[in-house]
Amino acid sequence: MKKGDVKVCILLIEGTNCEEETSHVFEELGASPERVHLNQLVRDVPPELKRSLEDYHVLVFPGGFSSGDYVRAGAIWAARLKSRLLQDLRTFASEGKAVVGICNGFQVLVELGFLPGIGGISEVPQAALATNDSAHYECRPTLLKFENRGLSQPLSRFHKDQTMLAPSAHTEGKFTFPQGDERRMLTALDRADQILFRYVDVEGEYAGYPWNPNGSIHNIAGICNPRGNVIGLMPHPERSFYRYLHPDWTRGGDGPDGDGRLFFESILDYVMENF
Amino acid sequence: MLKATVEVRLKRGVADPEGDNTLKALNLLGFSRVAAVRFIKVFEVDLEEEDEGKAEEMLETMCRKLLANPVIHEYSIHLLH
Amino acid sequence: MGEIYRREETPFPLYTIDLLEVSDDELLEASRELGLALNLEEMKRIQDYFRRAGRWPTDVELQSLGQAWSEHCCYKSSKYFLREFIFGIESPQVLLKGDAGVVEFDEDHALALRIESHNHPSAVEPYGGAATGIGGILRDVLCMGAKPVALVDPLHFGRLDYAHEKLPKGVKHPLYLFQGVVAGIRDYGNRVGVPTVAGSIYFDDGYVSNIIVNVGCVGIARKDRILRNAVQGPHDVFILAGGRTGRDGIHGVTFASLELTDEMWEEWRAGAVQLGDPIMKEPLMHACLEAADRGLLDGMKDLGGGGLSCVVGEMALAGGYGAEVQLDRVPLKEEELSPWEIWVSESQERMMLAVSQDRVDEVLEIFELFDVPATPIGRVIEERVSRVFYRGHRVLEMDLEFYTRGPEYCRPFISYRDMEEPKEVVPSKPEDYGKVILDLLSSPNIASKELVIRQYDHEVRASTVVKPMQGILGKECHGDATVLKPLTTSWRGLAIATASTPQYARLHPFRGGASAVDEVCRNLVSVGARPLALSDCLNFGNPEKPDRLGCFRDAVRGLGYVASTLELPIPSGNVSFYNETPASPVPPTPVVLGTGIVPDIRRCITSDLKAEGSNIYLLGRTKAEMGGSEYYGMMGGEGGEVPDVDAARLKASVEGLLRAMESGLVRSCHDLSHGGLAVALAEMCMGGDMGAEVRLDSGSLRPDIFLFAESNTRWLLEVVRGGEGRVERTLQGLPLTRIGEVVGSDLAVRIGGSSLVLALEEMREAWSSALPRLVIG
Repeated sequence: MKKGDVKVCILLIEGTNCEEETSHVFEELGASPERVHLNQLVRDVPPELKRSLEDYHVLVFPGGFSSGDYVRAGAIWAARLKSRLLQDLRTFASEGKAVVGICNGFQVLVELGFLPGIGGISEVPQAALATNDSAHYECRPTLLKFENRGLSQPLSRFHKDQTMLAPSAHTEGKFTFPQGDERRMLTALDRADQILFRYVDVEGEYAGYPWNPNGSIHNIAGICNPRGNVIGLMPHPERSFYRYLHPDWTRGGDGPDGDGRLFFESILDYVMENF
Repeated sequence: MLKATVEVRLKRGVADPEGDNTLKALNLLGFSRVAAVRFIKVFEVDLEEEDEGKAEEMLETMCRKLLANPVIHEYSIHLLH
Repeated sequence: MGEIYRREETPFPLYTIDLLEVSDDELLEASRELGLALNLEEMKRIQDYFRRAGRWPTDVELQSLGQAWSEHCCYKSSKYFLREFIFGIESPQVLLKGDAGVVEFDEDHALALRIESHNHPSAVEPYGGAATGIGGILRDVLCMGAKPVALVDPLHFGRLDYAHEKLPKGVKHPLYLFQGVVAGIRDYGNRVGVPTVAGSIYFDDGYVSNIIVNVGCVGIARKDRILRNAVQGPHDVFILAGGRTGRDGIHGVTFASLELTDEMWEEWRAGAVQLGDPIMKEPLMHACLEAADRGLLDGMKDLGGGGLSCVVGEMALAGGYGAEVQLDRVPLKEEELSPWEIWVSESQERMMLAVSQDRVDEVLEIFELFDVPATPIGRVIEERVSRVFYRGHRVLEMDLEFYTRGPEYCRPFISYRDMEEPKEVVPSKPEDYGKVILDLLSSPNIASKELVIRQYDHEVRASTVVKPMQGILGKECHGDATVLKPLTTSWRGLAIATASTPQYARLHPFRGGASAVDEVCRNLVSVGARPLALSDCLNFGNPEKPDRLGCFRDAVRGLGYVASTLELPIPSGNVSFYNETPASPVPPTPVVLGTGIVPDIRRCITSDLKAEGSNIYLLGRTKAEMGGSEYYGMMGGEGGEVPDVDAARLKASVEGLLRAMESGLVRSCHDLSHGGLAVALAEMCMGGDMGAEVRLDSGSLRPDIFLFAESNTRWLLEVVRGGEGRVERTLQGLPLTRIGEVVGSDLAVRIGGSSLVLALEEMREAWSSALPRLVIG
């Protein structure tokens, strides 16, 4: 498939607020992104606005505060998806297409039971993105080390231990497993190669606050499902797509590309090779 | 019509940054004798349902489907008369 | 209610009030009873009008006038002076003045900017007050057809460790107010997805009883999509979009036009403060912009102070027409609202659109997709009157000219020159300058605000290319200005900074006003931006008191002096009076939002030191100007000369510095403000995690004065080694001194026979731990 034919659905509802920049990076890379309101998928709207999920190759849940994150981050959006679109979503994922949740999108995928999805898509969440240890919003540069050993095909352009700068910006991002079950779940996650990114400091070491901005267990910043095609992460690679979006770019650096660019390139390569 | 409240709280042992930080703020505001604060969310729900059994069942489902995440939360349901 | 009120025989509550034959006392009594906050002169004007009309006014009409003629809505005490000093600053770059000022960004795009106060609501309910402040300023920019791209928030509180037992009755502790305001801005701003990129936090006990919460917004639009806050013709329909209307926020503007007393706090808490709903605002913005982008709108205006009662008349009058409204079409939150309540309610998240009849359906369709209610509620008429109907009854009919124009005053004022100047008390020379620097770094007005800055999403929209915290990862320090790259198709940058100068304005209002413009220009130039336009928010006491009004006038004169010399337009702004309690007024607080243009963001400069071996230069003249300085504040100094501005030299410095930066030889730049030279140096070192060796000649000044004076129009530059000659030539004629170089990991200063050495870690610890200690404990 040619790059221009890769159709990317950037899904949004009220409160989603990173759709523009997320759409922009796909456009910049030559793909065909479209911002789609959930209503266009599930409601009676004029025919020219009606959209169907099956027409896309990549589905992105962008960042923001869907429905205000009022009950719990991502919970309301997940509930709305469950009631209206669950089967379409399952089909989409089962075809191996790429599903990407960034920040609020990661929270949605966890609430939906798609992530971590150990033993399949779960009825109730298997993990939680709990309130940050600081108890407030944290908008700061974070460094992620790529930990995947090869499961996640859409991110295969990353090599193991590569670091990526991607800013974090969230209140509820502390990746949490049920108490008492942490070790077992972590081991399962690791064995199945579902860990994608972990927070590190400038030396590349796993570190505490502020490098781990929320207190996530095992410094987990991003994970994938057992098949590797559903991807979720708290930090925002679209916010480091260009070099000049890095917080320290005025100190000098190489070329115009930012660290986050590879994340999106890799996903597009995967789609072009497989569809 | 039945009224109910649903309390959603963090399970014992799960870190409660909102509670902890509120405690610190209260101490700073001069309430030196506050020893602990826990953050609890309460939803007040009006139900178009007369049957208490059915109401409880409905509220249970609500909690499982939306109001709580069982990984970190526990909840309690109180029907009001 | 008294006997002048008559309940009309309508199926809903409607009163007429007999003002025609009543005494002056009764007029004032009616103003008070109805919560109009109008004075006798104004009530008599109303009396005259209705005598001529030959009928009693309705409660709807009187309430409308109370709103329209409030200080908040018609600037009746300030307009005279603003016209005298500010409105006349001409610039070809100003495209439109409305709820926000519109200036040119590039050939095809324009910026909309505005800053305003939300002081009274935030004092009563800090979380909701600050949040709705953000909501309101977003609408001001949105209604020009511009997409909001940045928020700013200059804030002023009492000191966070203020003794509880000293708090006046009914006043909340500064720490509580601070936390509530920051959380309100955070939760609203972050949710609507507009980055909060600049601001300031100033602590002074003058704000214990009255906090100052200012919020500003900048938006961008295609020039051909800019909207006026006006109707275009009799084919226009008024569409009310967004949230439902409720009893919340009634009389917000009249409260904002009075001093707060104990009873009013209670009353207000009950009604006038709201929480706001960012998740209604977010799709509302999308829908409005979509409709504007498709060219479907004739005009737009937000519902703020005075609600429908102000917006309908103002839009109609601005277009040269009148309006007819069916109040029963307004979607309500609760039943049983009286017509006057619907008409003046200030419920949040509402916009008024003027849409040509033939485009109404298309507009409504857009709003439906975004799940945002939108309802046609009235139409434009040729006659210049406002007419309002409720359930078939006419409840209001007034000439728009009379209703909307409002009164204007030139009240008596006393200039500061006629007041007694405080005597200067010079603190004794300290033993250890290093310790003074550390103490200054940890003083709340200078210490790191990272704790607050990082609670705001300053990067959403992925266009913040120079961030508010600048420097090495994990070691960042405050920058002077933030730069956005608002268009994906252009390298052109938008620089944003704020300045607030109560510390000077309280001693010398004129110089305070002038310093605010100087500071905001310094900030913008520091990142490589040419100042483009300003918006001002002027927070003062009761204008009916001549000394307060004199302060205001002098501050405006100072702003005008510098802005006009630099040909910097101020196409929008806000005045907030009555920031006082019976005990005292707030320090006069002029606040400025500055925007600037960076031709290519790849040439931006930040404040952190970049390279070992670079030269450090001081640009600008240091004088014994200690009045209002942090140093005096900390060391017990009093009075003193307040930093003056030589606007011509500021202009020459701005031009020179921008030229020097174009050469690419300036690696970092930082302006000198709170704490003077010593603090600026320390900040540059911390951000770059690099030391510096500096030798200073204080000339005739005492060394501590030289180190800590806050004289205006000064910057520190880091110049690439080997670039000295070119930079010195470019800046010829300006006071430029090479003071040292970037080296090692300590800040080492030699001055007048003494020397000091501070390690980076020592400075960082002092600077970064102060605010968390006060806030988190």
